[in-house]
Order: sequence, then C-alpha cells, then structure tokens
Amino acid sequence: MSSESSTLVHDWPGRYHHIDQVLNTPGPRTDPGFLAGDGVKDFLRNKAKILVIGAGGLGCEILANLALTGFKDIHVIDMDTIDISNLNRQFLFRQKDVGKPKATVAAQFIMNRVPGVKVTPYFGKIQDKDDDYYLQFDLVICGLDSVEARRWMNATLVNLVDPEKPDSLKPMIDGGTEGFKGQARVILPTITSCYECSLDMLNKPTAFPICTIANTPRLPEHCIEWASVLEWPRVHGDKKMDTDDPDHIGWLYKVAAARAAEFKIEGVTWSLTQGVVKNIIPAIASTNAIIAGTDGVYSYTFEHEKRDDCPVCGGEAVDMTINSDTTVEQLIEILIEKQDIQIKKPSLSTSTKQIYLQAPPQLEQATRPNLEKKVSELVPPGGEITVTASTLPFSLSLRISYEA
Amino acid sequence: MSTVEATTTALVTESAPDNKTRRYDRQLRLWAASGQSALENARILVVSGGATATSILKNLVLPGVGHFTILDPLPVTPEDAGNNFFLDGLNSVGKSRAEEGVRLLLEMNDGVDGKADTRSLEEVLDTPGGKEWLGEFTLVIAVNLEKGPLERLAAVLWEEESFPPLVVVRPAGFLAEFYIQYHEHTVIESHPETAQSLQIDRPFPALLDYAMSLDFENMDVTDHGHVPYVVILVRVLEEWKKTHDGLPPQNAAEKVQFKKNILAMRKKPDEENFEEAEAQAYRAWTKTVVPSETRALFDDAKVISPSSVEAPFYKLVRALKKFVEGSGALPLTSTLPDMKASTSAYIDLQKLYKTRAEEEKEVFRGCLSEACGGDIKAIGEDMIDAFVKNSHALKLLRGKRWAALDEDHEALVLATQTSSKQLAVHLALSALSNFLAKSKTSGQTLSAEALTAEAQKLLPDGTELPEEFEDCVGEVVRSPTAELPNTAALLGGLVAQEAIKMITRQYVPINGYCIVDLVETWTGIL
Ligand SMILES: [Zn+2]
Repeated sequence: MSSESSTLVHDWPGRYHHIDQVLNTPGPRTDPGFLAGDGVKDFLRNKAKILVIGAGGLGCEILANLALTGFKDIHVIDMDTIDISNLNRQFLFRQKDVGKPKATVAAQFIMNRVPGVKVTPYFGKIQDKDDDYYLQFDLVICGLDSVEARRWMNATLVNLVDPEKPDSLKPMIDGGTEGFKGQARVILPTITSCYECSLDMLNKPTAFPICTIANTPRLPEHCIEWASVLEWPRVHGDKKMDTDDPDHIGWLYKVAAARAAEFKIEGVTWSLTQGVVKNIIPAIASTNAIIAGTDGVYSYTFEHEKRDDCPVCGGEAVDMTINSDTTVEQLIEILIEKQDIQIKKPSLSTSTKQIYLQAPPQLEQATRPNLEKKVSELVPPGGEITVTASTLPFSLSLRISYEA
Repeated sequence: MSTVEATTTALVTESAPDNKTRRYDRQLRLWAASGQSALENARILVVSGGATATSILKNLVLPGVGHFTILDPLPVTPEDAGNNFFLDGLNSVGKSRAEEGVRLLLEMNDGVDGKADTRSLEEVLDTPGGKEWLGEFTLVIAVNLEKGPLERLAAVLWEEESFPPLVVVRPAGFLAEFYIQYHEHTVIESHPETAQSLQIDRPFPALLDYAMSLDFENMDVTDHGHVPYVVILVRVLEEWKKTHDGLPPQNAAEKVQFKKNILAMRKKPDEENFEEAEAQAYRAWTKTVVPSETRALFDDAKVISPSSVEAPFYKLVRALKKFVEGSGALPLTSTLPDMKASTSAYIDLQKLYKTRAEEEKEVFRGCLSEACGGDIKAIGEDMIDAFVKNSHALKLLRGKRWAALDEDHEALVLATQTSSKQLAVHLALSALSNFLAKSKTSGQTLSAEALTAEAQKLLPDGTELPEEFEDCVGEVVRSPTAELPNTAALLGGLVAQEAIKMITRQYVPINGYCIVDLVETWTGIL
C-alpha cells in the first residue's frame, strides 16, 4: 500500500500487536458494517483526522489513548494555561509547565512519547474557528468543563450537516466528570438526540438567594458569596475579580471570615472560599478514564429521546403558555429560570419587530421601554418570538399562547 | 482601609495554601487530609509492568501514593513499546520493563518513591523471607498473572489477616474483570448520600423547651417568618401528641391534618418557613431508627466477643451498641442543614444541636472507655469524631479468598440465573486462564470449542453455560492476549479508584468481581 509508506517509518514490527487482534478479525458482536482488516487499519493510521476539544483531565487521557490506538493526525484545542492544581491528574504536564498553554504542551508531550503521531495544537477558543475548519475532521471528541462551550460545539456540528453531503455529518463524543462520577455519550448530529435535547437533565448550579446573602446569612458559603458578589464590587468598583489570583482569594477570605465572625457563623476557610468562588468541582486522575460510582462500581447506559422542539436539531417551535398580563421583563425571567432553555441574557424579537435586545447599547436603550409592556400587546396569540443570545450560535422559537 | 478590612486583619490567621495543598486541592475535596495522609503512607506492589499495570499506577502516582514497586523480570518487547504509554517507544525495547516503567511514572510526581524489582514472582515466593517481604506492602495488585503463580500468591496473602489485600486484574481485549481479595474491610467514613437524622420525632429536652417557649401568637411578624422549620415541627408535633394519646400522626388522613395545622399557624400566606415545615413534615412522624446494617453490626461475632488484637473499629461499635442501649438512638448529629431562618434563629438552633451532640459524644466516650478498659487514648480523637459523625453509615465488608466463587457450586448455579451476563465474562476469562496454563505442555491451539469445554468444567454437572457465554468466548478467542489502550485506561481508573478506597478507608469498595464489557459498555458486580 503506497499511502502507508510515509508513516510506516515509525510503525515497527509488532507495534500494533495488541490493537490488531481486534482489527484483524470481527468479534461476535461487532457491527456488520465493520470491515476488519487492512482497510480499517489504513483508515485509522493514515487517513483519520480527529479533533479533541479540551486538553484538561479528560483531554490528556483522550489524547494518549488515541495516540496509542494508532491515530496519527490529531488536533487539539484548549484556551487554558496550566495551573498547579491540574498536576494531580493532567498527566501530560509537569511543574515546569505551569503557566504554559495546555494545548501546546500536551501536543508536544504526545509527539515525544508516541513516535510518528502528529498532534496539532490550537491555543484559543473553539469559537475562533469556522465551519471549514470543523469540516476537515472525521470525529470530534469533547472533554470540556463548560456547558456553554458544549452547547456551542453541539450547535455548530448540527448546523454543519448538509443532507446532500454525507461527509458533513461529524460524530461527536462528549465526556464529563465530577469527583468519582463521570459520563460519556455519542451524538450523531441530526440523527440522535443532541446535547441541547437533554439540557433539562443537567443539575442546576446551587445559587443562594441574594436576600439570604445580604440579610440572613446562615452558612459560611453565604458569607463568602457576600464577599464576592456584594463587597468586591462595592470596594473595588470596576476592577475585575480574578479567582486565580491568590491575593484576590485572600481578600475575599478575610472579608468573608469577618462577616462570619460578626454573625457567629463557623467554617469559613481558605479552601472553602476558593471552592465557592471558583465553583470548584473535585477531580482526580482515575475518574477521567472511567465511569464509576462512590459505592462500589456502578455504570448505567441509556438512550436519550430526540426532542422535536429542540432549538438546535428539532426544527419545531417550543409551545409556551403565559398569562396575558405577563410583561416582557417577566417573560425574560421565566426564560432564564427554565431548566430546558438556560439562556443567561436573552434578546427577543418577532419576524416584524424587535421586542428587547441586550446589545448593542443603543438598541438596548431603544427597546428598554418594552420591558414593562405586556407580551400580549406585542405578540398575537399563536405568534412566534425568536430568542437569541450572544453566547449561543442558534436561536430558539417560542410559539406563545395566553391563559384565559 | 475600609472598616471591614480593619477588623479582619487581626482576626484571621490562615494564610494562602502551600504548593502541595494547591497541587492536591481537587482531590483533598474528596478525601481530606486524613485520606491524603493514608495515601502518602501506603506502599503498593504491582506484579508485572504491562500497559494495564502502568495505567493503574499512573492514577496512584498522580494523587501521591507513598511508594510503589514494580515486580517484573521481563525485558521490553516491540509489542510492549506499542501499547504502553510509560515506555519510550523503540528506545525502551530490550531494557527492563520494570525499570523503564518506574522511571517514566516517577516523572509525574517527585513526591512519590518508586522501585523496580526485576525478580520473578516465583523467585520471591521461593526465597526465604519472601512472604514477609510481601507482607510489608499495603496493597498488592496482580495484573495478567499466569494461573499457577497467581494461585500461589493469592494463597500466601490469604494466610494471615494482617497481610495486604490482593487485587487481581485480568483483561482480554474488550473484556476484563478485577477482584479484591480481603478478609474484611471496615469503613467509618463511607461518605453516605443520606444525612444523619435530626431526631425531630424525639426532640432532646433543650430543643423541646425552646420550641415550647416561643410565643408564636404574639411574635413580631418578621421573626415569625424566620422561625426554622425544625422548631415549628417540634412544636406542632408536641401539641399534636397532647390530643392524640402521645402519638404522632398514624395514617394518611392524620398526616394531612398535621400539615394543615402547620399552615394554620401562618400569619401571612407567603411565610416560606412554614411552607418548608409542611414539605419536611414527614420528619415529624418518621421514627428515628438505628439502620438495620448498623444493628447487624451489634450482633457480629467479633463485636460480641472482644479480642486482644482487634481493630479499634470493633471497640467503637461495641461502645455504640452500649450507647444505643442507653439512649435508644444513635448519637445526635451536630450538623444542621440550611433552612429558611434569620441568622440568629438559625445560629441559636445550631448551638442547641452542637451542645447536645457534644454531650452525647461525652456519653459515647464513657461507653468507649468501658469497652477499652479505661484507655481510649489509643483510638484518638479524630477517629472518635469521625465515628460518631458517621455512625449511621458504618460499613463492615467480609471478603472471600480469590477464586472462592469458582469452587462454590451453589453460588455458580445461582449466578447463572441472577447475573448471567457477568458470569459469562468471568467464565470466559477463567477458561482462558485455565487453557493457557495447560496449553504450555499440551500444545493445544486456542479455539472457541476448547474454551467452551474449559468453561463447562467450571460449572457443576448438568448446569448450562449462560446464554451470553458464546459472545464472550468469541471475543476472548479473537483477542486472548490483547491489552488494548482503552481497556487499560479504563481498568487503570477503576482499579486505582478501588485501591484508593481500600487505602484511605473512605468510600465503599467492591466486594466481589467487577466485570467490564467494553463492547456493550457496561460494568457489573459478580
Ligand atoms: Zn437536539
């Protein structure tokens, strides 16, 4: 095979002894579409191009496993730099790498350790890349820690699908961990349910009511939130809080501890302060490779339903019934609260007019008076509202009806 | 300087965390300093230095295990260099697999001590003092060992209860299993999902007095909306009992009425604390009980008959039994969940619970002192604290010798009915191991028929192989010696995680076989 000659330099005899056992012959349960033998090995080693998003805990595992499996052309995107707290699990990084870009260091490490593998890093955001970039890959694997980035990637891959071009369908594997727990799923854009379809399954992040924080703190967490949400902007004005800056954490800790002492609340520590303001999720090396529970070992596989009214892959408008007295501002609050929508700063419009736009400032100002108006004055029963947000690469259609 | 800052500088003493704390921050949130210290004092022996073995070790070196030894006499082959991330490609071929593995694993964490031992397991077992050498490890992990040496190792480590637990790991392609051999494993800090009871159905005197002393009728409206639900429930329950022969609500109708009584106390329709009390009303009629698992501990033979060499766990359980006999319940929790309340009402209630919990702990210490013959210093305050806090979730696991299942005909027949999927994988892997041991001399070639015959021998006469066996054996026949990178990574995670649970004595490890099938993506326990 001539196509193999360039990479075969590194493929010493016996190199793939282990993996070849499952590539040379099909097993009793392999998919009938799996054609064992040279074809699949050639595709895997010489043709496949894989994109890994995230070079954190999961990303390091994924990169090493892909390389050992025989993939030779791997790309990795990550916008973060290495922090000392990554070193307990992100095994491609060392103390000397702290401060350097994760994508670059991870790529270099893999290339040094596994001969003949080309890993192309990109130190930046997934949003920097356009459709043509994503179209070049055969598979996208996500090891991300942010819901926002997952939604963006998911929507982008669904939008990429052109029914005329089968190659435009890019399978996405999405993984995530939390402490001893983890999950992974395969998304075939437009065919299976997508990430957006199951958004309502996410746990809501703990949010403390502002009145508790301001008036009736009871837990050390309430004091820490007070320090970061209310005291920081009051004392420091526009200066942005950097949760990675030990001086900033130190300030928050002291302020929180003082408030706790004032209210006789125990338990404010440096570690808790950091945990609350950074919304830290515990993480260890072992979980990044597995799905395991804390009580023995436990795993569970299930199929998600594709939602017809999924704003990304469904195509149908979401039906929403509101009171005829509901104002635009109240509708926005409902949208922010809704677990299956989760939009932080929604802008609303109909096909003919703008109802409320969050940006730019001139339009925000121009549409602000609408906030107090009743939705029923602006949208007829059965009318549709388009909801957009700058963080999401898609819009959501709401079909509005009114309670009697 | 603002007033806030001025008052705080004098008050706070904790300074920014050091580098080690920062490095381990994310895991300290899971097992705290006590777990970390146990991990750092642990000594792990891993027998064989293949891809699965280094993958397991990676997940123990990163979180900072104290010491590990790789025992492996073999040189690196080109096949090893292709699938093991802790080898340096062709540069490692011909060198010692143990030495190369140790060198590259240690690069990840300079706080860890590692040693390569190029003897074979047989050599160790045949050497005088070999047994004692093995006994000095905290945990032994054996990966892909041949049947003969594995059985010897398992037998030696089973001889004494004080010998380390043995983790046996067997991968073949997409299938794998691992087993932990231990006599017993006790867990105080099991990290249960359920909290300790607030004992609202049997309020302690100070709580009852406090709840009865409140003048709800004439209370300030703001205060009224901030009385914690615990206090409301205690009050409503006490009033209820006065008119119901001293009993809490007994049936659905009474429970509805009880909830109505709570809501009837509201001064305004939107008092959230009363809504919370209604939602939590079940706590008033749910009897505080000692969990059946804890009760079973009280009757355990080792608890009933003290021994001079027993672990502190048994003394603590004996003391707990005594405590429960006296008070009728487990020690009261000192942790109050958050609830709608003003700061002062919440802090007052918290203080009531803390004070009472402290008093009950004193009573418990008395019981413990009796159980220890006066000297409780050996047990230590931290352990007593942890024990009292976790007294509702104590775990005692009794394990079995490696391969005990294979000799237990009754259990095997039962497993064909209840866990056929898991048993099928186990039988296929056991058949492979038996076959490989024999084929060394017989020269027979591996086939589905040969493995099926081996597996059938493992079952009692007349018992049919599970339906799923055919698929499993097909999988094993095509990849009998494959250590796939993904399977190795998954096992590396699973085994390391169970090892950490064993070492830290936190969380609950498996008791039996963990079976892995990566074709269908499931894990199960057999
Ligand atoms: Zn969808």
